[in-house]
Amino acid sequence: MDEPVFSLKNVEYSYPGHIAALSGVSIDIHKADRVAIIGANGTGKSTMLTMLDALIFASKGDVSAFGKQLTEKSMRDPIVQREFRSKVGFVFQNPDIQLFCPTVREDIVFGPLQFRIDHAEIRRRLDDVVQKLRISHLLKRSPHQLSIGEKKKAAIASTLIMEPDVLLLDEPTAGLDPQTMRDIIDVLDKAHKAGHTVVMATHDLHIVEEIADVVHVFGSNRSIIRSGTPD
Amino acid sequence: MGKEKLLHRSGGIIERTIAGTVTVLRDAVSIELIASKNGFLQRRDPRFRVISAVFLLIAVLMSKSVVELSLIYVSLLVLVLISSIGVLFFLERTLLFVPIFSFFIAVPAIFNFVTPGDPIHTFKLFDHTFSVTRQGIDSAIIFFMRVLDSVSVGVLLVITTRQNVLLRVLRIFRVPQLFVMTMGMTYRYIFLFLDIIQKMFTAIKSRVGFISSSKTGRRVVTANMAGLWLRSYRLQSQVYDAMLSRGYSGEAYVLDEFEAKPMDYFISLLALCALIGTLWMNRFFL
Repeated sequence: MDEPVFSLKNVEYSYPGHIAALSGVSIDIHKADRVAIIGANGTGKSTMLTMLDALIFASKGDVSAFGKQLTEKSMRDPIVQREFRSKVGFVFQNPDIQLFCPTVREDIVFGPLQFRIDHAEIRRRLDDVVQKLRISHLLKRSPHQLSIGEKKKAAIASTLIMEPDVLLLDEPTAGLDPQTMRDIIDVLDKAHKAGHTVVMATHDLHIVEEIADVVHVFGSNRSIIRSGTPD
Repeated sequence: MGKEKLLHRSGGIIERTIAGTVTVLRDAVSIELIASKNGFLQRRDPRFRVISAVFLLIAVLMSKSVVELSLIYVSLLVLVLISSIGVLFFLERTLLFVPIFSFFIAVPAIFNFVTPGDPIHTFKLFDHTFSVTRQGIDSAIIFFMRVLDSVSVGVLLVITTRQNVLLRVLRIFRVPQLFVMTMGMTYRYIFLFLDIIQKMFTAIKSRVGFISSSKTGRRVVTANMAGLWLRSYRLQSQVYDAMLSRGYSGEAYVLDEFEAKPMDYFISLLALCALIGTLWMNRFFL
């Protein structure tokens, strides 16, 4: 089998005040995998995704991404950071965190602009992503004027436009109406078919079968208690 | 009658907070609606709109002619009409407040002890003789017209330009990108916090009902202010993470896409002519 995109070995993480958030987590995620992470609230799903996006780092254990150790020190190197960020996209649970610009359009193009991608290419990607998510009518609007479903779509667009190899999504369908949920599942399905690795934390058990090939279940001990296929 | 007016009348601190947030949100939405219309001014390049407004403001401040100030005001009203802005909406935001504020400042100027000149009317008060002078009335009218024109130019610029665009235009004045971006983010999150405040106070109201004592109301507000501060502190750290996640590395790059058309240059040229004309009139005629 090829080298995993992400590999976690006995990873532990505690928030300040020694509040355990992850305990002995081991997991391998391979290229083009579709992974669902399920579990009750507070079992460590979001923490693990945040760690996979190198926004927090393991207190104990080893984390590697694309064959290289992922540590706070390694991410201080601007070249490593740039390469990693261009390969991994994270859709946060709360879209208000991700939509920090005055308009949806500015939010969506924020990522590619930081990578100094050619403006013509950014426009091409923007057209492509807004067409996929059917949000062209939202571009000029301010994020505070959007519904929760529209915000989620805009947040996903702001990540998809970066064309990352790996898509991390923290409860992308939580609290959405069936139609918006369907739209998002279709977009993620297309992204997977285009070769993206998709890792998603979710509470919507009824969509797990459709969106994942591998499921990891987090238990109250904040580690993975069961892994397997959705059925 | 609007819901917020009813809430204002009830007078409780919670009701007033809810009503206040509703008013701010409603005003922001109505201004956004005007700014997104396809009117004459809205179609102009925002950079030229700002430059023209600056030229006009300087012209207004330098002008000593009531005729010129009146002409500028009439031109502004024409711009209002061709920019799909309700005249009443515009007058409400300009004409209603200008007389009140300028009146208190301009009134002393009409008397001889501030502006000496030819007396029009003389009267006695507490053994002192006061006169209203022609020069005093002229300077009061000019002052009033300057305030009216300046406020109108400012309001017209603000209601025809989206706030985020207005902030981006600051870049032409060499304001650092980081400052413009921070201002934009602040503006964006004000609405998020207004929304949180509104929901928070509605939730308090649903649990405790109407608070008649202002002391209790203040205690509730203080406790929630602390909660809100903690939320904002947590949010800023999460937003920074979201920026990092999308490649931010200390220097933000944003898309500045403005497109100037011949009409934009023409409008700015007209405003510049108004300024030059004012300076010329001041030098040779007034």
